[in-house]
Parts: sequence; structure tokens; C-alpha cells
Amino acid sequence: MKKTLMFRTLESRIYMIFTLMIFAAVFVMQLVSFRFTMNTVRNSTLANNRILLGQLVKQIDSYIAGMEQISMAVQDDLQLITFLQNGGDSSSTVYRSIQQRLGNYIEARNDISDIIIVGQAGGIIPGNPDMDLNPWVNIADKEWYRSALEAGGATVVSSSYVQNIVAGRYSWVVSLSREIVSPLDGKSLGILLVDLKFNRIKDLCQSLVVGSKGYNFIIDPDRNYIFHPSQQLIYSELRMEPIDSIYSLLDNENESFYHENDRYFMIETSSLTGWHLISVTYESDIVTDWQYVQISYAFLGLILFLIVGLATNRISSGITRPIRKLQKIMQSVDTGEFQLVGAIKATEEIRELAREYDTMVGHIRKLMDENIKEQELKRKSDLKALQAQINPHFLYNTLDSIIWMGEMGQNREVVLMTSALSKLFRISISRGRELINISDEIAHVESYLTIQKMRYKDKFEYEIDIDPDLYKSSILKITLQPLVENAIYHGIKEVDHKGLIRITGEEFGEKIKLEVVDNGKGMTEEELENLNTMLSSTPGSSGLFRQGTGVLNVHERIQLYFGNKYGLSYFPSSGGGIRIMIIIPRAELEK
Amino acid sequence: MKNWYLFLLSLVAAFILFMILSFFYNHTSSEELELSEPIQIVFKSIKGQPMDFWEVVEQGIDEAAKEFGVQVNISGPRYEREINRQINILNAVIDENPPLIILAANDFKRLVASVERADSMGIPVITIDSGIESDIPVSFIATDNIDAGNKAGREMKRLIALNENKIIAIVSHIKETSSAINREAGVREALSSEDIIGTWFCDVETEKAYAITLELLKNREIGGIVALNEVATLGVAKAIDEQQASDRVFVVGFDNAVRELAYLEEGIIKATVVQRPYNMGYLSIKTAVEYLKGEKVETFLDTDSILITKDNMFKREYQELLFPVGNQ
Repeated sequence: MKKTLMFRTLESRIYMIFTLMIFAAVFVMQLVSFRFTMNTVRNSTLANNRILLGQLVKQIDSYIAGMEQISMAVQDDLQLITFLQNGGDSSSTVYRSIQQRLGNYIEARNDISDIIIVGQAGGIIPGNPDMDLNPWVNIADKEWYRSALEAGGATVVSSSYVQNIVAGRYSWVVSLSREIVSPLDGKSLGILLVDLKFNRIKDLCQSLVVGSKGYNFIIDPDRNYIFHPSQQLIYSELRMEPIDSIYSLLDNENESFYHENDRYFMIETSSLTGWHLISVTYESDIVTDWQYVQISYAFLGLILFLIVGLATNRISSGITRPIRKLQKIMQSVDTGEFQLVGAIKATEEIRELAREYDTMVGHIRKLMDENIKEQELKRKSDLKALQAQINPHFLYNTLDSIIWMGEMGQNREVVLMTSALSKLFRISISRGRELINISDEIAHVESYLTIQKMRYKDKFEYEIDIDPDLYKSSILKITLQPLVENAIYHGIKEVDHKGLIRITGEEFGEKIKLEVVDNGKGMTEEELENLNTMLSSTPGSSGLFRQGTGVLNVHERIQLYFGNKYGLSYFPSSGGGIRIMIIIPRAELEK
Repeated sequence: MKNWYLFLLSLVAAFILFMILSFFYNHTSSEELELSEPIQIVFKSIKGQPMDFWEVVEQGIDEAAKEFGVQVNISGPRYEREINRQINILNAVIDENPPLIILAANDFKRLVASVERADSMGIPVITIDSGIESDIPVSFIATDNIDAGNKAGREMKRLIALNENKIIAIVSHIKETSSAINREAGVREALSSEDIIGTWFCDVETEKAYAITLELLKNREIGGIVALNEVATLGVAKAIDEQQASDRVFVVGFDNAVRELAYLEEGIIKATVVQRPYNMGYLSIKTAVEYLKGEKVETFLDTDSILITKDNMFKREYQELLFPVGNQ
């Protein structure tokens, strides 16, 4: 989960793409160079093998050549020729001395198995006087004999075979045979056989091998195996040599080796014998420590990866870090603050982005300020609309009362009422201000009460008991008067007993609590509850309000000005009437 | 925060790289079996005559060991008749806990207990040349002796038709050996229409075979003797040679001791059935390697036998078989 989340970020994507691309590049590079290294090693090994094979051919050739020299020496032996021509007794001294000389050759060269001369007349001179000829052998049938006759004086090199000419002895040899021709009349005198110990060739082939598994083998022109380290496997077909493919190398100058599975074959031909020498090299012997090459390549790959990985990380985080920083600052929008990015250390693109963002934030801030101002204006106009106007009925009733009192000649009362009315208007205008001192508000309500008391002929009494500490506190103008008006018209006017209106005011925590209490008609508990519910609900929803719109207006104005925490609430009073409680914040009026 | 996966990614990538690079050369080298211990081989006998049967088996083993890159260790009693000694040697070999044991059993039954012990220790056993009376060995690599006996029998049948004397005798080597039992069965199968007077056992002693033959030659109607192994053949041939009876008694033998081949050339032995010990040794290791690699191996592998007569003994393809190139 975490991983998929991580690859969704720009940084991890950049990193991933870079890594994959570099992986592919390093992989291809390593593969190519690894193959190249292997090829180089293989080619140089094979080149060495070819030299080795060349040496083997040379050694075998020189070995055969050495033997041929002996055969030449024997055939040039005049005594021998005379002996063969005349036919001689095996007990003769000539026979003995010839045998002696042949014996010397055998002794001098421990790689000669036998030297035998077969006379045309049938006489046989063995190089070793102690040996018994195998009575069951018909020499005329022997291949070395027949091919020497056919060759007519040239040396014939046989393939490897088991020589059974000596009784009870079966030895592996390669035979050199040639016809001895009389230098006098060109007549055939007999056949000279020089048997070479095959072990010598075998040892040569086995000594010049490469690696633990490599081997050499020899094939004669008729494709018979002269030597193969595991000839029996060849004949029982447990091992196959791709002879045809190897032979095709002889016609192809460009190819120096033939590759099959894990073996490499190379062929050289001995000019002296016509034998084909083939060397076999195993792949595992060529590059013995390919694992080390491999490990070092893998290690190199790892280091490259780490370096490139770190670099990629730097590049990707270099791109994304300024973006992240920008993003963090932009997040401040969520909380409502509009921070500016300001100068940032980043590439030109990011800086451009930051500048544009800052411009945008500037615009937004300006718009927000304008909005606040507009709201303020709207609120003010709302307040104005809600501001209780002096009831015109009240005005002309009061003026009627003044006229009436004037006619009656009650000058003192006229003055009192007129000055109260004047005060009432002065305060309610208050030079257009919303807020006034509580003391002014008291004066306002007192003027109103004075007028009403005179009009209603002492139908009620009133008491104002407000903490003088609060006099300097501010209050929305015309807060108390509508409540008092309400108490008179809906409370006291309805009852027969003398009414009492009490206005109290006290500090209430950080707020101010004002109360207007009457002992008028009062309300049922249900009605009070309905009123309170109405007050706490959305302002302006007061449809039919028995209490008159004035009280509701006061409530809405307080809430509009100070917030929903403030406002009015109704309670039953102990005197049977109602008690209206006003809560407003406590604040001094600004000058 | 990203450093760990950066590091991990690089490691994984390098590892993948390594694996892929390995793959290119693995196909040649991973085929080689890596064994900490050598494969143990217990022969019927060791240090016999140069170029005898077991030495050629050993050559085949060495060639295969080289080719497949495994180590081998060969042990065995001095003589084939030393069955108890072979059991002791086998037990000692088992205690070394080798990866595999190749056994040429000197007794069909008495080596079973030891082989069972090897099996209980989880050591696989391959038997060569002569098996044991058990299903435990994972493979048995030998000359199909019934077939080899059959070849000898058929040759004898051909020869006896040319002979006035029609009675045939069999000289076997040892009674309770599977090779003797099977060869005799093969011979008798091929000669079912001929008159076989009986089988004699020489207990792998030339002198005894010689003595038996002298006894048999007293019977003037004897026209053929089939000798079932090298020792028996040499004993029989020696008697025939001395009595100059090669014209009236035709011998078909087994194996290819140098002396036997001389007898063959002289005509004292008319034919001999030879095994392929080199192939036996080679195939035993090849099979062992295949088994250890977890490949399926044949429960029986016939290494084949060849009938050699005077006419074909110097043929190119048989020369190496009859006259192994040793260090003469």
C-alpha cells in the first residue's frame, strides 16, 4: 500500500523511470562487455591451443621422420641387400651381423617395438634374436606387408593396430613398412617393418592437452581412429565425435574451430603421415574463473547503480522540494490565512509560479476586505431599518395631552411633558449614533415613563435601579423603551390594580444584565415558552407576535449588533407580570 | 525516507543482473555435480593381472569421472572368493557415508544385509557386473549374462554341427553367483536341442577346471565344452592343449585374457564371448551421476557382449576391446 502510494508522487516516478532506464543501459552494457570478455578469453585460449596442436603435429611428424631415417639406414645396408639377393642361411655370420645391427637400432630407440625384415624368398630376419614368430600369422595377409608392396619403395605408415607377429605377445604399434628394392636390378628383395610403440604417440597426445577435460585424438585419412583416449566409447557409440563437421574445417580457411555444445574442436593435418590431429577443448576449461568475472561485473553494476541512484535521488528531490515548499505555503489557504510565498530558492519555473500565486493572494485579500466593508454597510442599513421609530400614535396622543393640559392651564405639567418629549427625541436621535451610554438610555426611558405616567394619571409607578458603575457602559439606543411600552400596553393597562414597572441593571460576568419587570397581566407558562423559542430561533420569523414588534425588534437588533449570544428572554415575575431579561456585552463607549 | 527503497532497488537490480549474467554460462557449468565426498566403488577383486577385467573397468570409471567431474575411490578384496572381506570393506565404506556406492557383489545373497544398511542410511547403491538378491540397488549395470550365454550357446550349436562328437559339457566358475547362473541358463537355452551332460564348477580355480576337463576328455563322445568365465576357459583350454584334443573337442569360452586370445589364435578355443568392462565402468559412473542429479535411471543397463572368433579378433573395432592399450 505504502509503496503504490509512493510511486504516485512525482519524485518516486522520476526515480523509477530513471532507475529503469539506467538499469536497462547498464544491463545491456554489461552484457555486451561480459560477452566480449568471454569471447576474448576464449579466442586467446583457442589460439594457444592451436599452437599446442601444431606442436603435437610437429612432434609426431619428427617422431615418424626419425623412424623413417632408421628404415632408410637399414635399407641402404649393402650387406643386407647382398644377403637378401643371394638368399642366406639364418645361421650364417652375415645373418648374425645384420640381426646385430637391427638389434642395436631397437636398443638405441626404446620407442621401437620391433624391426623385422621379410625376405622375398620367405626368410625372416627379426631384429630381436630371442623372439619367436607367431606360427599362426600369415604375413602375406598383413596389411603392412601388402600396402608396402603396393607402394613400391615408398614408406607406408600404418594405422594403429595390435601386432601379433611375435608369439604370445600382442602389442599396440604403428608400423612403418617399405619395400626393399635392389639398387642393381630394381627387383623387390623384401619388406622392412619397423614397429613403433603406440604408447609413445598416445603419451604425446595425452601430454599436450588443455584443462582437466580436454583431449586429443588422431584419425587417419580413411577416418579410422588411430588414437582416441576412449576408443571403446567411440566403437560402442557411447561417445560421438562430429567428424564430418570437423573435417569441414579443412576446406574452410576462415573458421579455425568448430563449436558443438560445450566442446571446441580444432584440426591439424600431418603432412608426413596424412593423419588428422584433432584437439578438443571444453568450454569449462577455457574460462575457468568466469564466476569471478561475473561477480566483478555484478559488483560494478551495483556500484554504478548506487551512484546513479543517489544522483537520481538528488535530481528528483531538487525538482520536487521547492514544489513541496510551495505546496505547504499554499496549504495555509485551508485555514483561511492567505500567506505570501515571497522569495523562494528554486528554479525559474517555480519562482514564476510563486509570483503568480502571490499576485493571486493579493487580489483575494483585497476582495475579502471589500467584502467585509460591504457586509458592514449592509448590517448598518439593516439596523437602521429595524430601529424602532417613535410610535406616531404615541406622539399625537402626547401632543393631545399637552394641548389638553394647556387648555386646562396646567402650565407646569405642560412644561414637564414637553421637556420630557424633547429629551426623548434628542436621545433617540443621538446624532445618528447606534451606541449610547446607559445613563442616556436611562434618561430616555425615564422621559418616556414620565410622559406615560402623566397620560395614564398615575396608573402605575416605576423604579429604576441600575448600578451606577454601568452608567458609562454602552448600549444600543432605544433598548429599554420598547420593553417598557410593552409592559404598559400589554401588562399594566389590562389590570385594575396599580401597576409597578421596575428596571434593574447589574454586572453579569463580562456582560451586563438588564431587566424590565412588571406586575401586569402576565402570561401563561406555555406562552412564555413559545416566546422564548421564537426569540432563540431565526430572527425575522416572528409572525403574529402578540407582544408587538417593538420587543422583537430590540432582540433582533441586539443579535445583529453583538451576535447570537446576546438578546432577550422572558420570565414570569413574582408580582404576576412578566420579567424580560436583556443580556448585552459590557463595553465602554468610544469617544 | 526514500533511501531504503533506493538502496533496496539497487541491490535487487544488481542481483537480477547477476542472475541473468549467470544464466548465460550456467548451462555449461551447473551441469557438473558437486560432491563433497567421492563416490565409493567396491570391486570384486583388485590388483589382479594387468589389463584384466577390473582394471579395464577402472579405466572406464576414470574416464567417466574425468568427464563428469566427480571423485571416485575404488576398493575391494584381493581375491574374488573373499566374500567376508568384501562385506567388511563394504561396511567400512558405508561408514564413510559416501554420496553413492557402486558395488560388484561377490555373492548374490550375503551382501544384501550391508546394502540394506546403506539404504537405511540413505546411501544409494548401484550394482555392476554381479547383482544381489534385492530391489534396493537403484540400477544394475552388467553384461546381460543370459544373452551372453546365449551367444556362446549359439556358437557352440553351430560348431557342434561340424563335429562328430555331439555331447556338450559346461564348466562353470562358482555355484551361487548370478553371472554363472545366468550364463548357464543362456547357454542351455540356446542348446536346448543338444545333448548336455552336465555342469561342473571349478570354483574360480584354473587347476580345478583343468582337472575337470581331463576327466571330461576321457569321455570320447564329448564334442564341446562351454566354459563360463576366464578362469574356467583357461583351465579347459590348458587341458585341451595338452591333450591335443582341439580337433575333437570344441571350446567356447568367456572373457579375453591374453592367454585366452593366444589359445584363440591357435585354434584351441574356437570362440570367446567378451564383455565390455570399459563401458561397464563408464556407464556405472554416468548412471551414478545421473541418479545423483535426480534424473531417472534405468534399473538394468546391459553393457553388451561380443562373440570373438579367430576371424574377427583383429578387427579394428574389437582390437581395443581385446587388447586394451595399457602401459606396455
